[in-house]
Amino acid sequence: MRNDDWKKVSRLVSKKSLWMVHFCTGCGAMEMPPVMTSRYDMERFGIAPMATPRQADVLLITGYLSIKTLKRVVQVYEQMRDPKYVIGFGSCTINGGMYWDSYNTIKDLSKYIPVDLYIAGCMPRPEAIMDAFLKLMEMIEKGEAIGWKKYHKYYDQYKRNQRMAFSYRLDEVQDIKEDDAK
Amino acid sequence: MMAKELFPDAQEIRKGRIRIEVEPEKVGEIVKKLKDNGYDHFVMLSCIDWINDGQFELVYHMWSYEYREHVMISTRIPRDGGSMVTLRDLFPQIETYEREIHEMFGVDFIGNPRLGEFILEGWPHMPPMRKDFDTEKFVKDFYYKIPEVKEE
Repeated sequence: MRNDDWKKVSRLVSKKSLWMVHFCTGCGAMEMPPVMTSRYDMERFGIAPMATPRQADVLLITGYLSIKTLKRVVQVYEQMRDPKYVIGFGSCTINGGMYWDSYNTIKDLSKYIPVDLYIAGCMPRPEAIMDAFLKLMEMIEKGEAIGWKKYHKYYDQYKRNQRMAFSYRLDEVQDIKEDDAK
Repeated sequence: MMAKELFPDAQEIRKGRIRIEVEPEKVGEIVKKLKDNGYDHFVMLSCIDWINDGQFELVYHMWSYEYREHVMISTRIPRDGGSMVTLRDLFPQIETYEREIHEMFGVDFIGNPRLGEFILEGWPHMPPMRKDFDTEKFVKDFYYKIPEVKEE
């Protein structure tokens, strides 16, 4: 078998065993218990909660993130081993949602860490979460969930955005504009 | 003794709600007096920004389980460079409220040694709960201007 074929096989197998670290921020954490427990029972798809990021494949960002939480999220994300996937829950991770004018929550998660899949809604229902997991499995099998590769490739850009957010200043933006002008 | 008996000038908003307006220097004395007379629960310390008056209003909320009565001690300090004496010796939990108000409004509490960073980390701008801090403008100038990650 060629190397590509092995990759396919490995993706096919790994999609059936997703361990997730549920980093509970915001209100999305409330939607997880019904998904985990007997009512919707996500274990039938091979998804299990995992206590440590080092053994997890999926990072769920369940809602709004303040800058302070983002620091911890980045730390958790960098501790996870490749391949790793990120699911953004609800409108807060997409554009800030109802916190769009808050001084302390980020508005677009994909500026700071790569997001493979967003779930719309405020908050999404357990059905939507199950649907997102199935979609993520499909993406993994097809090799479309490549957020972790993007993080390697555009590491400098992600780091730049994170530094800006952590310092609450845009000082580095000026440099980028100058670079574009050149 | 109930608050109304201790302070005849106090205003009774409705049953069980007493409001006392005093000078900043007298707050410590009144809180102490109430504490010694059955008002042993310090509920919270809040701050209101009266930007048009150029003042901050500090409200000390106290509750008595014995009389089931809520007393608010209100005092006003100047908005610019205003300061207040800490009351952390009377109730230790006041320290936390003072730290929060210091961070969110910039009020200085003299005698509180822990007025450092509290909830915000590395916040370089004006205290965000002040009314002259334009949240919407800040969001538009900051969060929306963080560039997207460009993919080649």
